[in-house]
Amino acid sequence: MCGDARNWDEDAYRESILKEREIQTRTVFRTVWAPSLNPNPNPETIVAASSDGSIASYSISSCISKLQSFRNTKAQHLLVAEPDYFVQGHDGPAYDIKFYGDGEDALLLSCGDDGRIRGWRWKDFTNSDVPITLQGKQMKPVLDLVNPQHKGPWGSLSPIPENNAIAVNIQGGSIFSASGDSCAYCWDVETGKLKVVFKGHSDYLHSIVARNSANQIITGSEDGTARIWDCKSGKCIQVIDPAENTKLKGFFSCVRCIALDGSESWLACSSGRCLSIWNLPASECISRTSTRASVQDVLFDDNQILAVGAEPLLCRFDISGAILSQIQCAPPSAFSVSLHPSGVTAVGGYGGLVDVISQFGSHLCTFR
Amino acid sequence: MGQAGTIGYPRCSTSTVLSNGILSLVSAIPSVDSRLEHSLLSFKSTKPLFFAFKSSSINMEVFKRAILQPGPPQAFALQTVQEVIKPQKQTKLAQDENQLLENILRTLLQELVSSAVQSGEQVMQYGQSIDDGETSQGHIPRLLDIVLYLCEREHVEGGMIFQLLEDLTEMSTMRNCKDIFGYIESKQDILGKQELFARGKLVMLRTCNQLLRRLSKANDVVFCGRILMFLAHFFPLSERSAVNIKGVFNTSNETKYEKDPPDGISIDFNFYKTFWSLQEHFCNPASLTLASAKWQKFTSSLMIVLNTFEAQPLSDEEGDANNLEEESANFSIKYLTSSKLMGLELKDPSFRRHVLVQCLILFDYLKAPGKNEKDLPSESMKEEIKSCEERVKKLLEMTPPKGKDFLRKIDHILEREKNWVWWKRDGCPPFEKQPLEKKTVQDGAKKRRQKWRLGNRELSQLWKWADQNPNALTDPQRVRTPHIMEYWKPLAEDMDASAGIEAEYHHKNSRVYCWKGLRFSARQDLDGFSRFTDHGIEGVVPLELLPPDVRSKYQAKPNDKSKRAKKDESKGAAAQAEENQIATPASEVDGEGIRADLEASAAQMDVDATATGNISQGGTPTPDEHQKQSSDTDGQEAGQLEADAEVEAGMIDGETDAEVDLDAVG
Repeated sequence: MCGDARNWDEDAYRESILKEREIQTRTVFRTVWAPSLNPNPNPETIVAASSDGSIASYSISSCISKLQSFRNTKAQHLLVAEPDYFVQGHDGPAYDIKFYGDGEDALLLSCGDDGRIRGWRWKDFTNSDVPITLQGKQMKPVLDLVNPQHKGPWGSLSPIPENNAIAVNIQGGSIFSASGDSCAYCWDVETGKLKVVFKGHSDYLHSIVARNSANQIITGSEDGTARIWDCKSGKCIQVIDPAENTKLKGFFSCVRCIALDGSESWLACSSGRCLSIWNLPASECISRTSTRASVQDVLFDDNQILAVGAEPLLCRFDISGAILSQIQCAPPSAFSVSLHPSGVTAVGGYGGLVDVISQFGSHLCTFR
Repeated sequence: MGQAGTIGYPRCSTSTVLSNGILSLVSAIPSVDSRLEHSLLSFKSTKPLFFAFKSSSINMEVFKRAILQPGPPQAFALQTVQEVIKPQKQTKLAQDENQLLENILRTLLQELVSSAVQSGEQVMQYGQSIDDGETSQGHIPRLLDIVLYLCEREHVEGGMIFQLLEDLTEMSTMRNCKDIFGYIESKQDILGKQELFARGKLVMLRTCNQLLRRLSKANDVVFCGRILMFLAHFFPLSERSAVNIKGVFNTSNETKYEKDPPDGISIDFNFYKTFWSLQEHFCNPASLTLASAKWQKFTSSLMIVLNTFEAQPLSDEEGDANNLEEESANFSIKYLTSSKLMGLELKDPSFRRHVLVQCLILFDYLKAPGKNEKDLPSESMKEEIKSCEERVKKLLEMTPPKGKDFLRKIDHILEREKNWVWWKRDGCPPFEKQPLEKKTVQDGAKKRRQKWRLGNRELSQLWKWADQNPNALTDPQRVRTPHIMEYWKPLAEDMDASAGIEAEYHHKNSRVYCWKGLRFSARQDLDGFSRFTDHGIEGVVPLELLPPDVRSKYQAKPNDKSKRAKKDESKGAAAQAEENQIATPASEVDGEGIRADLEASAAQMDVDATATGNISQGGTPTPDEHQKQSSDTDGQEAGQLEADAEVEAGMIDGETDAEVDLDAVG
């Protein structure tokens, strides 16, 4: 094979090499199914937030069709999907994304290491006709919130603490963020003003969920506890300590992820290699299960729990903590699991991989 | 039994073998409703009826009366026949008389059926009367009973009842055929008797196949099954006619599934297609061995399916929830492939089982030997099959309810199936073993066949020999391993040029002699034995035995080692060839391994031997002689065996001696 070296573009070559290398080490921190606009129950679009700060939407159907032609070529590599639209949302990793509202005026909220929460008009994502090469910096956020800095002695300012997770209360028009300064913040979407600060954890926060029926939020922190807060007063109502009354200290560490079920009365809470299920009305721990690897994301599917962690498995537990099934998935370490109403699950994680698993447990498509 | 190509698996006559469930699920039943309700009007007799005699109508009246007569058939049947036919022999009809009777009866039957149809009654119930709470038979069963009785007693030709039954089924509607078949089933024991069976098996087979053809395979499953069961019982187990001898696959049993994703429902369509594409391979397993690309595709698809099954194990509750099927409430004979059902089907344990069992059947077929050499799976493929099979079995075990029991039963069935395959490969030998005929002993003297404790006479004698000769081991005269000095003497003599023995009589031509000698030398004179590589058999002969001029030739000089090595190289091939020949065990001597030149010489010697008598008497037999001897009578063979055994004993003796010596030293 002879190449024509006259038009050799060394910079482009270098860039492509670096990009490839960067993709190898990218991590998808969160995947979210986009709300579907038409009545088609099939999952259409998935949005992924990754460690390079990008927020990209992918069309499942085009991935599948590409996969088919891809399979025919018998290549062993994973499919490299081209996003429908992507935006360079944050400096540094983007940790969480969430949809705010649905339909035409839905906002896509993202947060990341730069301590910002940004809102993007979802309509612009879907209706964009900007070529992929020009995307990235092209779209401007409609909402941009920055975490407050703490003042130290002599007027010194702390660095802007990062946002690790966000939750929303659409009726109240609020966004909750779990922040690196061990505080949770409540923002008003309309005004962009900080409403409430939830102070009490002794270490940074990993996760946050909103329990809107009771106007509460629940946070999970590095200090090993989860706390339930009242949004009105900003006071901590209850401290949940998964490690309490147990001697197995080694199993427990930070509360990495928490999840609420549909009725908002059951709480799954994972700390280290332990998954505990709590009944909130009775404020009692129902079951504790120790897992092989530390759990990094949990999710309720009716009365079952989906969990992913530091091993390439998607586990399904029942409420008593018994394993119902384990499905091999592509990312060697998974950071996010999300469920579409049709039963399709997406697992995102290390390697920039997203594995979409159908309701049968078969792999719909896998891409990076 | 009719069509043996279920799921394209080469089945034998195994309606009894595979359980109903598997059979039906995989069976190649087209869903075309082939129900042909034969009405009486459209009935046309395939065989013209002869009305040879004008008196037939009168004769028929006689039979009609007979039918109405009460009491068992034996009371009047024969008299009736005699009255009508007036046969030459009293109890057995001649050929044309049989024909006449058959014609009368067939006409009568036709008349009865038509009047039954006109009266609107069921054919088999026509003429039934209920007197005093006692039900009498209908006219037609009565007629059949009488004919059956006559046939059974061989008063009339045995095929007649079968002919009537065939006529009757052809004349009747499907509804009536059920009754008729019930009658056939009830008389199965009599119909199956050897004499009757031989006369009528083909007619019966035709009748049943006709019925099967008329039935809908989708709707009349039970009746079809009844007919198949009947056939399986009626014909001997080894009946070949129903066997798919060539193992042809029913490739027309295609499982159709959707090719385009449906709108409006959520489904992993790739998986759907992958899953159902497996059926193409199950339908025609032979294609898998021929093309490795297909095999690759199959295994990759199967892996995806198995992964999915594994990823979503079924709980016991799910197993119980679908127990309805066991009550055959929703029993289907073919997969429903709608993509909408996929989710439900995957949660159905019996569905999973069906698919997994299909895999096992396929693997069994692939592993089965006896096909063409090129059809056999390669080693790597065998490995793959094995690992797949293990996975499938594990999955079957996991599938509730009672996965382990189910797997055990399937294993058992497949094991039996293997036997059937072997049976078919052996040309379907009958299972009945004829009793051994006892030889009638003419001279009255009771000759009991002696039982040999060790298989045959010679071995038993050898065994007893030790008991009979307790001092054999201490006997100074016993046969010992001959000393090589003694043993090689004849060959040494041959090698002495001055003795002038012609080459063809040399002992080295006897391979048994050489072989024995080599073994002795190996034990007694290792140095001499090692010369074999350089000089062949003649080098092994102890130098002391040789005359000086010959000796120098075989003496190894220390200074020409390099030369020797060269010589080795050049001679290598030839020496090796020689070695191979000589080292062949004695038992092969009389085989085909003899060298061409040896054969030539042997042929020559044969001539000599006949001319001059046995020259080498007393010496070691030449190859040709040896050949003759071994093909000779038992006595001689026995003698030889004894001799061999003695040698062997001697050798063992020598070995033990050596051990004793070692002990003494140590």
